[in-house]
This record gives sequence, C-alpha cells and structure tokens, in this order.
Amino acid sequence: MPRARAVLVIAAFAILACLQPGAAGAADGERPARVVSLNLCTDQLVLELLERERIASISFLGADPRYSAVAGRARGIPRNHGRAEEVLRLDPDLVLAGTYTSRATVALLRRLDYRVVEMAPPRDIPAVRAQIRRIADVLGVSKRGEALIRAFDRKLRAAAPAGAGARPSAVIYEANGIAVGDGELADAAVEAAGLSNLAAEMGLRGPSPLSLEHLVVARPDVLILQNHGENAPSQATHLLDHPALRHLRERTAVAIVPEALWTCGGPQLAEAVARLAEARRAVQREGG
Amino acid sequence: MRGWLLPSLALLVIAAFAGSLLVGPAGLAPLAVLDGLFGLRSETVVLVVQEIRLPRSLLAATIGATLGLAGAALQGYLRNPLAEPGLIGISGAAALGAVLTLYTGLSAAFSLALPIGGMAGAVCAVLLVQALAGRDAGTLSLILAGVAVTSFAAALTSLALNLAPSPFAALEIVFWLLGSLSGRSMEHVALAVPFMAIGWLLLASCARGLDALTLGEDAARSLGFDLRALRRRLILGTALSVGAATAVAGAIGFVGLVIPHLLRPLVGYRPGALLPVSALGGAVLLLLADMAVRVVTPGQELKLGVVTALIGAPFFFWLVVQSRREAT
Repeated sequence: MPRARAVLVIAAFAILACLQPGAAGAADGERPARVVSLNLCTDQLVLELLERERIASISFLGADPRYSAVAGRARGIPRNHGRAEEVLRLDPDLVLAGTYTSRATVALLRRLDYRVVEMAPPRDIPAVRAQIRRIADVLGVSKRGEALIRAFDRKLRAAAPAGAGARPSAVIYEANGIAVGDGELADAAVEAAGLSNLAAEMGLRGPSPLSLEHLVVARPDVLILQNHGENAPSQATHLLDHPALRHLRERTAVAIVPEALWTCGGPQLAEAVARLAEARRAVQREGG
Repeated sequence: MRGWLLPSLALLVIAAFAGSLLVGPAGLAPLAVLDGLFGLRSETVVLVVQEIRLPRSLLAATIGATLGLAGAALQGYLRNPLAEPGLIGISGAAALGAVLTLYTGLSAAFSLALPIGGMAGAVCAVLLVQALAGRDAGTLSLILAGVAVTSFAAALTSLALNLAPSPFAALEIVFWLLGSLSGRSMEHVALAVPFMAIGWLLLASCARGLDALTLGEDAARSLGFDLRALRRRLILGTALSVGAATAVAGAIGFVGLVIPHLLRPLVGYRPGALLPVSALGGAVLLLLADMAVRVVTPGQELKLGVVTALIGAPFFFWLVVQSRREAT
C-alpha cells in the first residue's frame, strides 16, 4: 500500500522519476555513492569530505561564495533548491538535510523509504566536532573526518589566548541592528578566540536587537562585523553605515568575519576564530 | 481665537521636540542630553545625542509638519475632508519611487536619487488621482481613486522588494508601507529637509487662494486668482514635501487626516489659516508617535504607521458616523 501511494506521489510530482525503474527505496550501502545534500551546512561538509563523483547534488546555497566557504569546489556539481522532485530524479542512496530546512521534502523522502540523515545546527565547539564525526561516519569516510577534526583543533589551539588574563570585550553587530547573544555558534567562536561577548553579558540570548545607542554607550574593544560580500543595497545594511557606527569603528578595533565562515558549524569555523584572535591580539598589543 | 493658537502650538512643538531628544534606550539624564547637544560631554554622549537622537527628532518634526500641512492644503483645494497624502495614494506612490531608486543601487551611486524618486512617485500619484477622479471630485470618486492608486503602489512596492537582490529587502516591505524613523541619520535629514522646505513655501503660498476657493471657483477667479497657477503650486508643493518625507521614512498615514480635522474649528474653518497650525500640529503628533514607538516596545521598535493608524483609525470611524448623521 505505501508503495502504491509512493508511485502515485512520484507520478504527480515528476514524470521523469517514474521513467526510472526502482527510483525509490535504494539499498543502504556502507559507502553511499550518490549523496544529495539539501542544506548549506551539510553541503559544506559533503564538499570537504567526499570525492565529487559521489556527490549527486548540493543546495544552491552551497555553491554561493557569499554563504559557503567551499563554494570553489562546487563547480560542476548539480544544484537543488530542496524540492522533492529534484531529489527523486537523482535517485540518491543518502540524503543529508538540516533539521530546520526543507521539512516537506524530508517528510516525503522518508515516506518513500529514502535514507535521510538530518543535522541540527551546532551551538558550540564540541558539537561542531561531534557533527563532523557523525557526518563522516555516515558517509563512510571516518578517517578523513578525524583528520579534519585534528586540523580544526590545531587551528583553534593556535587562536586560543596564552594566559588567563583580562579578555577584551566584543560585540557582533549585524544588519538591522542585531547583536549575537548567548547560546549561538558565533558567541562560542568569540569566546574561543579569547574575547568576551558583551551582548551575552548584557543578557541577550541568541540574535537580538541591540539599539545603536546601547552599542555606542557600551563601547566594545572589538567591533565584529559580518562581510556580506558585494551585498545589494537595503535599509538593513545601510544601518551599518550610520554615522554613529562609523565614529565607533574609528575608535575601536574592527574584525570582519565573512558570513560564510560561521553560518555553519564546520571546519571553516576555526578560520573565523583565527580572525577574531588576530583582532584580540591587536587590542592587547595596543593596551600594553 | 488665532492669537493664542499659533504660539501655543509652537510651544507644544518645542516641548515634544525636547521630549523626543530625552527618550532613548541609552537612558541619559536630561542635563547630559542638553550638554551632549552642544558637544560639551564625553564623546559617547555627544555621539548618541547629535548623531542618533537629533536626526530622528528633526525628521519627526519636519515630516509631521509636512504631512499636516499637505493634508490641510489638499483638503482645502479639493474641498474634501478625506483628501490626505496617505489616503489618496501620494505616500504610497512616493514610497514606490523611493524603493525603485534605493534597491536598484541608484541612490548608492547618486544619493539625491532617493528623494527625487520619492517626489517623482508623488507627482505621478497626484496627477493620476486627479485624472481618475476629476477636478471637483466627490468624496466617493476621490477615495476610490486613492484606494486604487494606494493598493497598486503597495503591490508594486512589494513586488520590487521581492525581486530586489538584497536578502533583506523583502522584510523591508513593512518599513515602506508603515514608515519608521529607526536608524535615521543626519544624512537623511540633509537629503529630505531642503526639499520639504521648498514644498512648504509653495504650499504656504497657496493660503489666500485656498481661502478664495471656498467661495467657489468662479468667485475665486473673479477675485483675480489664477486657479491654474494655484493648482500647479499645490501639486508641486505636495509632491516635493511628501515625496521627500516618504523617501526617508516610508509612508506614514493618518497624520494629514487627523490634524487638519482637529484644528479646523479653531481657525474658524478658513483653509488658509489652517495651513500653519496644521503644520505645527502634525509635527507635535509625529514627535509624540515616535516617542511612543521607542517607549512602548524598546527592544524591537513598532513601526510609526502602526501608532498613527491606532490614533487615526478610530478618528476615521467617528468621521464615518458623523457623515452618515449629516446625510440623514
């Protein structure tokens, strides 16, 4: 019965899928050979860990250098927009998805007995390690995963502060006047770089609005801005050009962290931490 | 009657302006704000007062004055109590014009493009509404034309923002349809205020013509008023002031409706005398509304249009009931 319904659903969605016999229900192999990723964060891990012949498709965001740190490796790999028909046509033996995105597609693929592995966005550094390890295991490339984690840890150790001295304060200020508070991956990166997240100390949790007035009065040692690449104009990003913020930028150290480095919890996060540590060292040198 | 009205409204504007400077999340003491205004305190206080609060208060006062004045002038000229920049589509079309210049990057290359876009949109709306509703429009046809222009402009604004390359653009539909002064700076003041000021002068020059027009067009003409010139000045003045205002703050409704209505009895129902008092009244209302959005929900500010609609909509209800009572 579920099988019959499955065929019906496929027929309704994509004629192409029906033309391929046995499109649904691929066998669970040890090493999946046709991996489809539906989420920016799984895209990046797949591109890091897997040889390209085994990648059937990644999401369009994973190929966009504004959001993806490994967009350069995505050339020539088919892109999807998280829609079920795109996935069915590729007949994957493993589908990777985020826990918050493409929900309808994931539910449908599960009903059709596809193997779907979901990944929750990590909120701290240990969770990043665990996630790399888990995805590497699922892809059947555990050794490569361990090597990636070792390189990640080396970079983090290099970025960590030497002693337990006073930590300069920092605020991550994003478009629309949003600061990143406690309990976010970016907050964990700031702490790992030896800075203290002023927004978290002010009691903000997660991404929260922080007025320009508060920011100016708080006077962080380091102002962390995201680089949206060649972002198109909007009111949200114009706020970062406000004269008050320009004054603040002249008086404090500024660290620019491209969005692609810390949107996802992958090995690229270590690079974000390294850049933040550089800003910390600059402040500490100036302070004596 | 008028002797005390203008000075007392002016005092209210000054009080509301001062209050607007005192309100803000940083919680500065009144004396600190005063010192900061003249650059006598620490750099931080000066920055907060001069670069964040002052432009906001200036824009609230000038945009409020623009909307009050334009509402009074339109009501006088069209001899229709419902003529108001927001209701007859001028604000909506101005927002569309501004959106087209901002999100295409035109205003980043040439900053004056933003107010010019707003003013061009406003001119189109006035001409369109006049063409649709006719010169001496009845309330019904005027409002119908206004609704048509407003919803068409809102639809195109939403469409343009959905197609805009910036990932933030679609979320900014709310800003353009409801208006806000959050995050405004002296750059916005410099862009908008000169055009608004020219618009005010043009509208103020219509005062005597509007008074004469209450006697009817023929009477006004026989008194020596050039009605075509009057119309040109009125349209241009409205378009310049409302267009520039909307280009920096989005479409803010109801100020131009409520204020002239409230003040009209106090000036003996003379449209000419209504102009200056409506400008001052509009400034007071928008200054207070902008204080309210900062005080009521300090974390994530309300949009200004929400507050003005909360004040204006009940007033509209009252107007409907009133007009039905008059009809029977």
